[in-house]
Amino acid sequence: MNRRGSSFLAAMLAAMLALTGCYNSRELNELAIVSGIGIDLVPGKEDYKVTFQIVNPKSTPTTVSPGSGLPAIVVISATDRTVFGALRKASKRATRQLFFAHTQLVAIGEPLARRGINHVFDIFERSHELRLNSAALVVRGGSAESLLQMLSPIESISSLGLVNKVENTAKVWGENRRTDVFGLISGIAGEGDITVNGVMLPGDIREGRKKSSLEQSDFKGGSIMSGLAVLKEGRLTGWMEGTDARGTQWLLDEIKETGMDIGVPGASGKLAVNIFHSSTGVRVELREGVPVFHVRIREEGNVSEAGAFVDFSIKEVMDQVQETLKTQTAQEVRQAFEKAQGMKCDIFNFGNELKRTHPQDWQKVMNHWDEAFAQGRLDLHVEAYIRSTGMRTKTYMGQEN
Amino acid sequence: MPIRKTGSTPDGKKEGGQQPPLSAVLEENLEQIRARLGNSPDLVIRHYKSMIHEVQVAAIYINAITDKNLVDTYIEQAMKFEFPGEGVGIPAAPGDIYSYFKTKAVSIGKLKVIRDLNTLLEALLSGDTVLLVDGIAEALSGMTSGGEGRAVSEAATQVSIRGSKEAFTESLGTNIALVRRRIKSPDLRLETMTLGAITRTDISIMYIKGLAREEAVFNLREKLQHIEADSILESGYIEQLLEENKFSPFPTMYNTERPDSVAGNLLEGRIALLVDGTPFVLILPATFFVFMHTVEDYYQRYDVSTLIRLLRVICLVVSLFGPAIFVAALNFHQEMIPTPLLINLASQREGVPFPTFIEALMMECTFEVIREAGIRLPSPIGQTVSIIGGLVLGQAAVQAGIVSPAMVIVVSLTGICSFTTPAFNMALSIRFLRFGIMFTGAFMGLYGIAIAALMLVAHMCSLRSLGVPYMSPLGPFSPGDQKDLFVRSPLHFMKTRPRLTRSKRGRRQPGAGSS
Repeated sequence: MNRRGSSFLAAMLAAMLALTGCYNSRELNELAIVSGIGIDLVPGKEDYKVTFQIVNPKSTPTTVSPGSGLPAIVVISATDRTVFGALRKASKRATRQLFFAHTQLVAIGEPLARRGINHVFDIFERSHELRLNSAALVVRGGSAESLLQMLSPIESISSLGLVNKVENTAKVWGENRRTDVFGLISGIAGEGDITVNGVMLPGDIREGRKKSSLEQSDFKGGSIMSGLAVLKEGRLTGWMEGTDARGTQWLLDEIKETGMDIGVPGASGKLAVNIFHSSTGVRVELREGVPVFHVRIREEGNVSEAGAFVDFSIKEVMDQVQETLKTQTAQEVRQAFEKAQGMKCDIFNFGNELKRTHPQDWQKVMNHWDEAFAQGRLDLHVEAYIRSTGMRTKTYMGQEN
Repeated sequence: MPIRKTGSTPDGKKEGGQQPPLSAVLEENLEQIRARLGNSPDLVIRHYKSMIHEVQVAAIYINAITDKNLVDTYIEQAMKFEFPGEGVGIPAAPGDIYSYFKTKAVSIGKLKVIRDLNTLLEALLSGDTVLLVDGIAEALSGMTSGGEGRAVSEAATQVSIRGSKEAFTESLGTNIALVRRRIKSPDLRLETMTLGAITRTDISIMYIKGLAREEAVFNLREKLQHIEADSILESGYIEQLLEENKFSPFPTMYNTERPDSVAGNLLEGRIALLVDGTPFVLILPATFFVFMHTVEDYYQRYDVSTLIRLLRVICLVVSLFGPAIFVAALNFHQEMIPTPLLINLASQREGVPFPTFIEALMMECTFEVIREAGIRLPSPIGQTVSIIGGLVLGQAAVQAGIVSPAMVIVVSLTGICSFTTPAFNMALSIRFLRFGIMFTGAFMGLYGIAIAALMLVAHMCSLRSLGVPYMSPLGPFSPGDQKDLFVRSPLHFMKTRPRLTRSKRGRRQPGAGSS
């Protein structure tokens, strides 16, 4: 090709590159960043009420202009038969294009959870706009809308705050865990049942929406993480709470760190033990048609507080403390297991484990797994170790005689 | 065609070969010289008469470009025969005076015999002193060039903390001396030629025989001989005339004003091209990574040098892609930015009236303007410009809400990063390419940046500098040369020279070879 021709071609190619244009270019100040999505059931109808918590960039304190004093979040809702419809209908209320890629939180109202959420999450997998790693929460005794409307005192964007709250308590207390949309979907699609983290709005919902209520030291609104919602075939059937929730977490090997109050051998006070390491191994087998769940828990902890005189320098005493810790853990786990059996909900992933390790056996029980699970036997072995007693051995109080 | 090593004959000059020969009559010659130089007032013609045969002798030189002492010594020595009784043989005939000059009396360096007028003029104009003897159609010229020149001073553009402080000057002779003093090897070869039909600029090729590849030297020589230009005022002229790919944004010849850098490159088998009148010496073949290294890398310990080299590479990438990635991420890939950062950026952009790309373009242009103004202004004012430009303008633009603070950070970071590229001409190319990549980033996001980067890499791989692939030793990959690329290995491990520039003698440390 001659020189003219090739330069013409090059120019055309360059023009083509440019002419594709900014096909999906969006400026940041044309976007409404959605930080949280809430999905509720419209009472008496089949419609979804989808609520969006939108970040208001004007009020973020990093801005150069003086803070506008507006709340950091704006909440809008839309109602439609499908989630997608609501997503698009919301444009009637929003001044900017909703941008979902940063959705931190997907909240589900309890009424919707009771009706069943199996079909709600299809859009999260199908749409490229939504994220699968958003945290999922069930709002206990309330609507997702009220959760998203609630302001939060330290984190100005409450969805971010809620996710932080889940992660934080999961790390140090262990009753809750961060459940995300992806886990939810794979749980619904897999065998057995699932648990979703629960959140409760104990305070004054009306006050929690007002910015003025943030200007006092004890915030009247607020939310607390509360238990794990047990979803059987996508329907909320019950709640695991307190030690039951922790027992569930133990069986799921989700305990990162937790604190346990255990009895003191030969005294009335309590010992606080901080479990800083725990691992759970699960093996499932079918014995004469009855599933047996072999669970091995190995936990390690520190004594963090002694409410009575205990001489940790004596080996026998330490053995006793470890024994108590072990028994108490086993008790929590067993309780959680029995409660789940009562609900006929295999929330511990045992079904998947059996299917994975013994596919033939699974074939025998897959049609009546719920009943089989309820009759299953737990073979629990706990190993508990106290690794340290903190910075001192005996407490400053002498032994009471 | 072998090159003449003395530069007495103009090369590449095609005037039909008829050069007017000198006349045997002195006055005629002088008349012609005067006429050719337009009776220039700085032309000095000193007349002498030999005592014995009363032969007219004229010494001719141009005043300002000759060294007075040398001229005097030269003439004095030439005239010594006038004092009989010093034991030297007295010339018998007038014609012998000339041959006497030629053989015995003149102890000046670089004595040349000139037979035609053009050569004579050229010798005069390069500072030689020419002796003409009446009755002889030949002239003798002695090298007396000198006059005012800059002394060897500290390098101004390629500063180093450790290492030689000397920099080249405008004088070719001084520059050659500076290199010679560093490489005292008989294998250091020097070839001189004159280029430029009008300027008649002296240039020298320098290489180490046995280290530089013969064919590279041969090629360079050939190419230089085919240069047709009437003027060579700076080594940049030669660089541009020699470039194989004239439309490439990348420089394919390295220039330096540091003799130690030249010495180091010569020892790696490269060829240096010294041009009279400029302190900037060309080094070729120059691959991309030559521009990323400094001599100081070898003076500091290897760990420090390696980290600094890596830092430079990172900075190069930032200065090339920084604003483009920022614009692309903000306009197309908001989902990639961590949420808290996105909210932060969004709040900064609140109220900024321009699209991100325009904002970036504006700031980049402002930055370039400030930089250019800073270079052109006298140094005391130059600082004021950068303070006003950088601090006041940036601060005011942010406060006025025209530009977001994050953009100021990105642009200034990019600017600072571009200063870490040691070679100024490479930094210029990167500076220029940055705008192109920013365009593609703003049009097509990271996809566009990836395309631009791909095109850039393809282009760089297609380049050659004096036959050596530009991206070597990465493409083509030569494992042995990786020791001195992104990392600078300890000197003890650097036993071989770069594969593509060296000749057979690959080993650097003959003694260390057996260990």
